[in-house]
Amino acid sequence: MSPGVVESAVLDLLRSRAPLARGHAELSEDLRLGAGGLGLDSISLVELLLECERRFGLRGVAELLEGPPLTVGILIAHLRIPAGR
Amino acid sequence: MSRARKIFDTLEGSLARLAVSRPRLAFSGAGAIGELRNRLSRRWPSPEQVRTLFPHLDRGTAARVAWRIGGLEARNRLLIDCIRGRGLDPVRPLVRTPEGFAALRPPLVLGFFHTGAVQALGAAVERLPGPVLVLRQGLLSTPRPPVRVESTEGDGQRRAAAFQRALVHLAAGGFVVVALDVVPGPGFRAPCLGRSIELARGPFALARIAGAPVRPLVARWRNGGVEAEAGEALTAPDPGEKALAGEAARWLERYLLESPAELGLGLLRSLLADGFRTDGAS
Repeated sequence: MSPGVVESAVLDLLRSRAPLARGHAELSEDLRLGAGGLGLDSISLVELLLECERRFGLRGVAELLEGPPLTVGILIAHLRIPAGR
Repeated sequence: MSRARKIFDTLEGSLARLAVSRPRLAFSGAGAIGELRNRLSRRWPSPEQVRTLFPHLDRGTAARVAWRIGGLEARNRLLIDCIRGRGLDPVRPLVRTPEGFAALRPPLVLGFFHTGAVQALGAAVERLPGPVLVLRQGLLSTPRPPVRVESTEGDGQRRAAAFQRALVHLAAGGFVVVALDVVPGPGFRAPCLGRSIELARGPFALARIAGAPVRPLVARWRNGGVEAEAGEALTAPDPGEKALAGEAARWLERYLLESPAELGLGLLRSLLADGFRTDGAS
């Protein structure tokens, strides 16, 4: 999957799961997925990352929760890595 | 502070020392002091507060339930003191688990309510036949294997990380123990005792995503000791989390209608603070 396709798929996924994402044509990379950003609650955050694992055939995406506050950019960058290898 | 209150506080304080050598006697004493304290003050709960939630009780029975809730609270204060000071060591011999407890099979979500001897559940879940992950706010004592504790404190992402670790634990064939009626994250309101109670969404979402059943878990004071009990798995005609939360609230209501004195003050306050009343039986 090319980087552009990854980005587009992630943005579609965010728009389908985060009502606050629907009104925006573009989502900035530093926009947080949780409070203060797209407003996803704890359970919705986990479900989003599990859906990414399923859709992109990757494991361990949910481990991003252990790192810094998740943003649109961090998620896209993580999903792009295997595509770029 | 009133003189009577000082005397009761002093008496309860002396029981904390007695609990080191004679725990059953100390907890029985705490129950008696708590009942007397409620009986004299007629407060928290008052018989009227009890009747608000249990209107089928006559005044005399409501008064006795109020005394027993006073006793429950005094025992629980002593229990928390004991656990904070000496961990679960003095509590373990007091806790009885039914035979069926060891027959429970993971993956399983055990959801507890803040009723009865809730803090003693830490000793009961050590007897589950498999690894146990307890999701909770704060930590009264250091857990020992097979129990591990994950904090649900912090922001949404920290709670999400704890939720994710609980999912991994269930997938690996473990038990997850979690409060149903304390809601640090998203929740649902469900009818209970003519009012409504807020239940956490997390335990029900865990069960749905992991494909694990949810069973209610309670502990009650009996004869100076504690009996733990796991209810049957909750089932709802609708597979959604909200429907399962509604079943949990109905289970709690049935349990409290049978044993009204198991209602802890925190839960009682929360129910009384809710202005919502359902029509007829809930």
